[in-house]
Amino acid sequence: MMLQPDVVQFIAMGGSQTHNGDEEEGFRGAAEQQVEGNPFTFSPQLLRLHRDHELFEDGDVFRHMYLQDLFISEAEEQPAPSVSEFGCHISGCRAVFSTLHEYEHHYNSLHRHVCCSCRRSLPSARLLDIHIQEWHDSLFTILAQKQDMYLCLVEGCGQKFRTSQQRKDHLIRLHKYPPDFRFDKSRKERGTREASREQRTDTAVEAADDVCRSEGVCEVMCGVESNQLEREESMETHASSEEAAQSEDFSASAQTPETNTERLKPRYSYRVPKTVCFGHGSVRGFRGQRGRRK
Amino acid sequence: MWRLNKVRHKAGGHANSLEELRTKRREKERALRQARRDRQLVSKRLLLNEDEEQDTMEVAPGEQDVVTLFQILQHGGTEKEAFLRPLSKALRDPSAQLTFIKLENSMHLLVGLLTGSDARCRLQAVRCLHELSHSPHTSVASACLPATPYLLTYLSGQSTKFTELCLYTLGNICPDSERVKERLLAQGVIPALAGCIQNHRHNLAVVEAAGFALFQLLQSKDAAQKVIPTVLASSLPSQLLSVLTPDPDFGLAPAIECAWCLHSLTSSSEDHRELLAQGALRQCCSLLVSLGGAVADGNTDQGLELLVCPLLRCVGNLLSSCPAEALHSQLGGVDLVAPLCELVVALLHTLPALAKETAWVLNNLTAHSTESCSALLTLNLVPRLLELLPFSQGINTMVLRVLANVAHKKKEFCVRLAELGLLSALTATLKMADQNVVTLSLEVLFMIIVSCPQIAEQFVSHGGLSVLEAIQYNSDGEVRRRATYLLEQHILTEK
Repeated sequence: MMLQPDVVQFIAMGGSQTHNGDEEEGFRGAAEQQVEGNPFTFSPQLLRLHRDHELFEDGDVFRHMYLQDLFISEAEEQPAPSVSEFGCHISGCRAVFSTLHEYEHHYNSLHRHVCCSCRRSLPSARLLDIHIQEWHDSLFTILAQKQDMYLCLVEGCGQKFRTSQQRKDHLIRLHKYPPDFRFDKSRKERGTREASREQRTDTAVEAADDVCRSEGVCEVMCGVESNQLEREESMETHASSEEAAQSEDFSASAQTPETNTERLKPRYSYRVPKTVCFGHGSVRGFRGQRGRRK
Repeated sequence: MWRLNKVRHKAGGHANSLEELRTKRREKERALRQARRDRQLVSKRLLLNEDEEQDTMEVAPGEQDVVTLFQILQHGGTEKEAFLRPLSKALRDPSAQLTFIKLENSMHLLVGLLTGSDARCRLQAVRCLHELSHSPHTSVASACLPATPYLLTYLSGQSTKFTELCLYTLGNICPDSERVKERLLAQGVIPALAGCIQNHRHNLAVVEAAGFALFQLLQSKDAAQKVIPTVLASSLPSQLLSVLTPDPDFGLAPAIECAWCLHSLTSSSEDHRELLAQGALRQCCSLLVSLGGAVADGNTDQGLELLVCPLLRCVGNLLSSCPAEALHSQLGGVDLVAPLCELVVALLHTLPALAKETAWVLNNLTAHSTESCSALLTLNLVPRLLELLPFSQGINTMVLRVLANVAHKKKEFCVRLAELGLLSALTATLKMADQNVVTLSLEVLFMIIVSCPQIAEQFVSHGGLSVLEAIQYNSDGEVRRRATYLLEQHILTEK
């Protein structure tokens, strides 16, 4: 806990362990500490708290309630301990959650398997790989002119096709996929919004056809019809938030009215520089839905 | 007389409904909280007559009666006591108090009666002064100045009820005005209090009153310079310590007052040598252990926490002055580690604020004591600590500090912590919204990963990689640096 230095006589006695030398194989003398650039700074500290310290507030109030004859010991009015919220780390994404499941779901849905180049979020590593190959790999484009390169999306099928349309037909006919399967958009379709509102899968919130919706650097570089995308996006995420609300992973409270108004609020800007990309799948921050606020 | 075994409500009440009572309490609590934030937290106590029951407290007669009564008393006569009684009742009313002190020679009259030859009049006069001392108007305290040398003198007397009234009166007026406090100090309030406790040490009601008076004196803003050195030099520290153990018949009240005095002493001043020399740490610890055991057992003796709280604070602050090598002897063989852990867990759902204070004491205990850290491991207390990590408002940050203290000592401890489930606990805390929690979690993680290469692998298998990657995009630079360093230097290199 960070203590307020102006209130507290905070005395850190971190360095006085040499007399315990024999037993001390810990970090005092470890080579680690001397490594250049090691940002870790923890050392055990004795915390002396002045009587005015905020940590003592509740106990003092208690004490004075007793002095003024207002003390009741029964637990009826004592507040329950509060539980830490989980919060999405990605800078710009301010989502908070009350359970680990919600956090994981949010993170896995929105921030994993993100394509570096176009920042789409795909639901799995496999689909991400396929996407990158087909959309951003010029070698693929060249090879595809001569060979069957378009891989069937169903894992284990393994069939390849000369064009994406052929693959799509295969998916529909053999694997009974819907004709507008979200994760099989062809490159040409980028930018068109097929506003399909029907059932989506759990991991449906794709970054989709927006290149970027955030303010700041991205806007300058894309110069896209961000207004149009904003509007469309808000409809889309509205739909998906409804759907997500039905998902069993989320807590029960009906939140749609609230999220409606939230959708109209401005997006957070995207601060991570474009050049930063972790591997093929990038953990990227961008506008995702806001988490359930309690 | 207040005693903890009754639910009490304040002046002005005949029995209110429970709901009104609750509302009043909440308002009062809010007011107290604000007063503390303004550094204006002061309380007074009113000692009722034996024949009064709080619930049936009479509504005070009007101001006019005060004037009338005063005039009668001024005119002499032998039946003064008969008029002093109603005067003291009348003086319960705040506006009557103001009226009274504005009357010329009113205080002079009271002081005369206080010091006169009629013992019953003395008692009634001090009763009047006591009512005045309880006034919410600070100007009243200054008006009582002429009485103070006598009140102090009477502290060395033998009459118990009278002494009690003097003590509460003094305790009530001293926070109200700097002048009053300085005058009392000059007049020797501290030696008087020490002497009083000594003389009346078998009368716990008087001891309680003296403890209260001392507590009030210690609340002043410059107590550290003006009051505490004198207190430490007197016999008061040892007396306070001797009263700490609660009397089973009389109850907790005297011990409560003395413990709060000790807390005021240890938290306002850095000089703990005298108290340590008197064995304060050992005594507070052993008492804490026995009380803590009662709390953990679910003993609902009301008010136990009122004593546990100041004891915790004394131990916490005394530990911070105790050099590591002296810790063992200062504690006198009292094992604190297990009782403190039990106490945190026991208090978590009933009094989370106290649970936080307990965790703080654990931090101070384990900071430089390899023995205490080892005890945490061998007594299998770590899993209980891990269960505290979901709880916020300072609890999880403090518990993480304790775990970090343990990890910091030895590589073997790190390995042991990892075996006990720390890694999966950390993968959860690393995802929390509180940046302090995340930072401390990273520090702990770093220490245990560095201690043993297998731990990095285990961490990865717990799904830790993705959370560290996510943390690299955290808005806080310090957090990002740590995550990146850990990944680059210790985790990814292993793979």
